[in-house]
Amino acid sequence: MVLIGESIHIISKHVNDAVKERNPQVIQDLAKQQTAAGADYIDLNLGPAKKDPEDVTKWLVDTIQGVSDLPISVDTLNPVAMEAGLKACKKRPLLNSASGRTDSKEHVLPLAKKYNTDVVISVLTDKGCPPDIDSRIESIMDTVALANEMGIPNEDIWIDPIILPVSADQKQVKEALEFIGMLADLLPGVKSTVGLSNVSNGTPEELRPMLNRTYMVMLGRNGLYSAIADVLDKDLVRLNKGELPKIVDLVHKTMDGESVDMGSLSKEEQDYVKTARVLLGETLYSHAWLES
Amino acid sequence: MDYKAPLETYSGKVGEVVIGKGEKELKIGGENVLPLHFFEGKVENRQRLALEVFDSEPKTWTEWERKPYEGVLADPVAWAKKCLELGADLVCLRLVSTDPAGDNAPADKAAAVVKQVASAIKSPLIVYGSGDEKKDIEVLTKVAEACAGENLLLGPVAKENYEPIAKAALDHGHCIIAQSPLDINLEKELNVKLLKTFPRERIVIDPLSSALGYGMEYSFTIMERTKHIGVMFGDNTMQMPIIADLGSESGKTKQAKESEKQGLLWESVAALSLLIAGANILVLLQPESLKLIKEVIDGKI
Repeated sequence: MVLIGESIHIISKHVNDAVKERNPQVIQDLAKQQTAAGADYIDLNLGPAKKDPEDVTKWLVDTIQGVSDLPISVDTLNPVAMEAGLKACKKRPLLNSASGRTDSKEHVLPLAKKYNTDVVISVLTDKGCPPDIDSRIESIMDTVALANEMGIPNEDIWIDPIILPVSADQKQVKEALEFIGMLADLLPGVKSTVGLSNVSNGTPEELRPMLNRTYMVMLGRNGLYSAIADVLDKDLVRLNKGELPKIVDLVHKTMDGESVDMGSLSKEEQDYVKTARVLLGETLYSHAWLES
Repeated sequence: MDYKAPLETYSGKVGEVVIGKGEKELKIGGENVLPLHFFEGKVENRQRLALEVFDSEPKTWTEWERKPYEGVLADPVAWAKKCLELGADLVCLRLVSTDPAGDNAPADKAAAVVKQVASAIKSPLIVYGSGDEKKDIEVLTKVAEACAGENLLLGPVAKENYEPIAKAALDHGHCIIAQSPLDINLEKELNVKLLKTFPRERIVIDPLSSALGYGMEYSFTIMERTKHIGVMFGDNTMQMPIIADLGSESGKTKQAKESEKQGLLWESVAALSLLIAGANILVLLQPESLKLIKEVIDGKI
C-alpha cells in the first residue's frame, strides 16, 4: 500500500507556529523523519489556508522539497492555495482533495486536469458525508463521471470513502471497508485512499495505533491502494511491508469469521483479533475494548 | 393452514440481580428475550416499580405533586412506608440534601437516614446520591458501611468515581448502579472496568433517563441497543438489568408543573416507553402513574 505521511498538518501547534514564523526547521524535520520512515508521499495539510494562501503554500512546498525527494500530496480546501501548491511541486503531485461538493467540482477538480495530477476524490457532497453505502456509491459515480468528462482518466483518480471514528459511528467503519471492496467492480481502474488515523480519532492516544494498524490491514485486504497515515508508527510500516505475516493472517482469519484460539495467542496477537472484531462491528466499541 | 408466528431464540440472557436481604429479597431481570417478548422465552421476573423518597422536604413541588404524600414529605421513614402502601414494589431514596450545590449535608447524617429507612420498611431500598461525583464517594461509602449487609442498590457509580464506591459496596454487601451519560460506548467501558473487580450479578445499568420531550428518545435508543447487544449478540458486558430513573426527571418538566393531568400523563408515557425499551426497574414519583403502569405490566390494559 502507498503510504502518505500525515505529520505535516496545520492543526499541529508546532507546524502552525512554524508556518507563522516561516521557520523551516520543524517542517523539514518532519519531512525528513517521514521520508526515512518509508513514506511514499508527504501530505501537506493546510486546512482552509485563509491567510496568504499562495505565499504560504509555495513556501511550504519549497521547504519540503529542500530536504525530501518524495512527491507531495497537497491537502487543502482552498483552491487558491491548491493551485499555488501544485504549481510549485517538482514531482507529479497528488491533489488532495476534490469531492462531490459544488464548489469543489467547479474550482478544484479542474486543477487536476490543468496540472496533470493524480487526484483524490472524496464522497462528500453539499449535504455532508453520505449516511450509508448506497449514497456513497451514488455520490462517487457522479463525481467520477464528471472527472472523466473533464478528461481525467480513472487511473489518476484516488477515491476516498471518508473514514469516521469508530468511537462515534461503528457502522460506518464497516461500511467504508465494504465500499473499498466494491470499487474495483464499480469503477474499474480507479485507485483509492483513506485518512486512516481518523478511525481512531476520539480514542485515547495510546490506544490509537492498534486501531489504525488493524484497519489498514483490513482495508488492504479489500484492495485499498493507499492511506494517509502515521508513518512514524514503526509497526504500521512493518505491517505494510509484510514483515508481520502472522498478524496479517490473524486479522484476515477474523475477517473471514474463522474461529481463532485466543488461548494460544500472545497478548499483542489477541489485541489485533479483538480490534478487528470491533472494526467489523461484531463487538460493541468502548475505550476499554482491549480489556474484555 | 394454521398460522404459526415466527419465534426467535436468543443467544444471551439478562442477568438476575437480587437486592434486599431475607424476606425483603427482590429479584430483578433474568429474561432471555427482548423486552416484553414473553411469547419467545422466559421472563423470570416482572419489571419492578419503585416510588421515590427525598431525604429532605422537596422545595419545588407544586400542590398536586405533594397531595398524595401530604403529611409525610418531611419524614423519610413515614414517606417510604407510604410508598409501599401506595403499591410500590420498592423504595428509591434520593439523598438530595447531600448536594454540595444545595444543603451540602454531611455524609454521616445521610447515612443515618438511609439506615433508619432501610430498617423501617419491608422492601429493598435503592439509594441515589446527589450525583456530585466527588461528594458521592464520601456519601455512598458511608451509606455502604452504615448499612452493611442490607444489600442496598447503591448509585450512581460513574466513570469518575467507580473505584472507591464499588469497593465499599463489595466490602459491605451491596449492589451498585453503573451510570453513564447517554452513551452506549461509555456504558460498556464502565461495565468492563467494573467487572474486573465487581461481580456481574450485582450491577444494574443506568443509562440516564431523560424526560419526554427533553431527550427521552436517546434514553430509549440506548436501552434498546443495550438489550440487543446483550440478548441478541450475547455480549456479556451488557447483560445487566436496566434501571429507568425517570420520576424526578419528568417532575422537573414545564409540562408537569403546569397541571396534574399533564404531569401524570408525562410521567406515565415516559415510563411506558422506557418499559418497552427494556427497563427492568422504573423509578416513579406519582402513585397514579405507578397504578397505570402496574396495570399495563399485569396485562389489564
